[in-house]
Amino acid sequence: MRLLLCWLAATALMFASEAADIVEKVEDNLRGKDAYMKMKMVVTSARHERTVEIESWSVGKKKSFMKILYPPKDAGITFLKLDNQLWQYVPKIERVVKIPPSMMLQSWMGSDFTNDDMVRESSLVDDYDPKIIGREGQKVTIAFTPKPDAAVVWGKIVSEIDTRTYTQIHDVFYDDFEVKVREMFYSDVKTFGSHHVPTVMRVHPLEKGKEKNKTVVELFDVVYDRGVSGSYFTKQALKRYSR
Amino acid sequence: MFGLALKNILHYKGRTVVTFALTFFSSLLFIVYVAWMDGSHAHMLKSTLDIYENALHVDKKGYRDEGGYDYLIEDVSAVEARLAQTPGIRAFSPRLESFALLSTPNDSVGAMVVGIDPEREKALSKAAEALADGRYLEANDTGAVYLGAELAQRLKVRPGDVIAFIGTATDYSFAADNFRVVGTFRTGLFEFDASSAFVNKRYFDTLMVSKNMASYIVASVDDLEALPKTVAALRTRLPGGLEAVPWTELMHAQVQAMEVDSVFGYISMGVFFVVIFFVIMIFSFLNIVGRTRELGMLRAVGLSPHDVTKLLLTEMLLIALSSVGLSVAVGAPIAWYYEVHPIVIQGIAEAYKSYGLVDDKLPMRCDVFTIFWNAGTVFVLNVLAVLYPIAVVNRYTPVEAMRHV
Repeated sequence: MRLLLCWLAATALMFASEAADIVEKVEDNLRGKDAYMKMKMVVTSARHERTVEIESWSVGKKKSFMKILYPPKDAGITFLKLDNQLWQYVPKIERVVKIPPSMMLQSWMGSDFTNDDMVRESSLVDDYDPKIIGREGQKVTIAFTPKPDAAVVWGKIVSEIDTRTYTQIHDVFYDDFEVKVREMFYSDVKTFGSHHVPTVMRVHPLEKGKEKNKTVVELFDVVYDRGVSGSYFTKQALKRYSR
Repeated sequence: MFGLALKNILHYKGRTVVTFALTFFSSLLFIVYVAWMDGSHAHMLKSTLDIYENALHVDKKGYRDEGGYDYLIEDVSAVEARLAQTPGIRAFSPRLESFALLSTPNDSVGAMVVGIDPEREKALSKAAEALADGRYLEANDTGAVYLGAELAQRLKVRPGDVIAFIGTATDYSFAADNFRVVGTFRTGLFEFDASSAFVNKRYFDTLMVSKNMASYIVASVDDLEALPKTVAALRTRLPGGLEAVPWTELMHAQVQAMEVDSVFGYISMGVFFVVIFFVIMIFSFLNIVGRTRELGMLRAVGLSPHDVTKLLLTEMLLIALSSVGLSVAVGAPIAWYYEVHPIVIQGIAEAYKSYGLVDDKLPMRCDVFTIFWNAGTVFVLNVLAVLYPIAVVNRYTPVEAMRHV
């Protein structure tokens, strides 16, 4: 009996460790040391369809800078993420604004992403305990449960990962009551240098009344590990690079 | 029998005074307590209604549950035409509610920014009356914001200062503009004052791409008592996909909280009445058993147990009727007086602000039906309290009763 318990404990630890390794590789694959990319985001809701084009620079997990290129009405709006904080600059009112905690669950640019998604997207390893819950060929399913003291929005995330390319295939986000709230589908994996990246991401909210909504993000002009200037990651940059 | 009962009442002065006093004070307490509880609840609900919600809203089905721009009324003028034709509707005005970021160089606060028609809104909310500093919005205002006083405090701004509005337009594009604070309001509803701002809808529509659109249309009615009839009439006139929602549904959570509070109030009073019931019953028991020899004599001279029951019940009915009657005569004017001149308890609004209490006034409610059922309850309890002692004394034969020590 004791032997069986030891075996079960050792297996659980091994699975946890393997899950953390896989997640680490997925994140390294997606981010690299630094990255530059352009994105097209198409937001579809019951009343509208809207396209936004974005240019993005990032260094590791903690720093990123984004600039809206299209539509012309929104062009020049910039966002800066440093650690878990988010600032934005709006040319029309010439003001840098820090997004307060009360606005973190608001929609980002009218999409099915929230401001909190923009800030916390990098914290899967930091805020959640990953555990392998299924395998099917090269596909591994990992459940992320929040660490006890983590201030996170999701009650659980279940992610399917292709271990050939270390890219996500499908994520399901649950609330605190284990109810599915959102799904993300990843496709069109392309190779940029040594990085394999799904270049199309589709977000489907599952909440009542949002069944017709979706947000599709397409990546292009992706460049990894060529060096991104540190000048993007200051509050002054928000205004400077807005033009 | 009536004469004998009256004679007994006057003869047993001690019993009469104590029973009368117990019944009178418990009935008076019940009348005043319920009047105060009902009056306070009605006052809290009315305050919230008058301040912002008013009698009914017309919105797109799903708006109240999901909110957001997918549930906007997209042809406000057509809906307004239907409202204008509906009997019982007094006034109405569209509102566009948006959750946005209000920002100064030093502070940013998330707030509900509402586009309103400043003139029409005067008849529908207390926004204008609640002016604390500066001025209310005007029909031709552009880039002007009227802030809740607590919100202004959080942003550290005063009339004349400029704040940035950053939100999402109804087409989901970015909406940003600078607004000058023209005034602040204090309704007394802390949460509302700390998170709400009003702007002129005509100008707001250009920023939010929301011409002829609204989150909902708020309406007041001629007669609040006839609201269900007005809502039913309006529902038959509204285009498909829209709904007319009375305040009882809009403020369902608050109404339920009041009902729960009332239930606890009645439970407290119930416990009190159980005590009163047993006190009266024990007192009546001792008194009636103490009169066993006298009742035995009456039986011996020809009264039946039925006559004894009638005699004792008549005595109790007379005492209960007079005491309960007096309690109504005293309690009703008290309830009426404090309905007109509410009791003021300094600081109570702070303690009960989550219930929607906006001032320190706690009025009573003088409702004739409520007063009579309160008094009737006490009356019935009194009569019930005397049944067991009567049954006990009627078990004796006349001889046993006359020998009873």
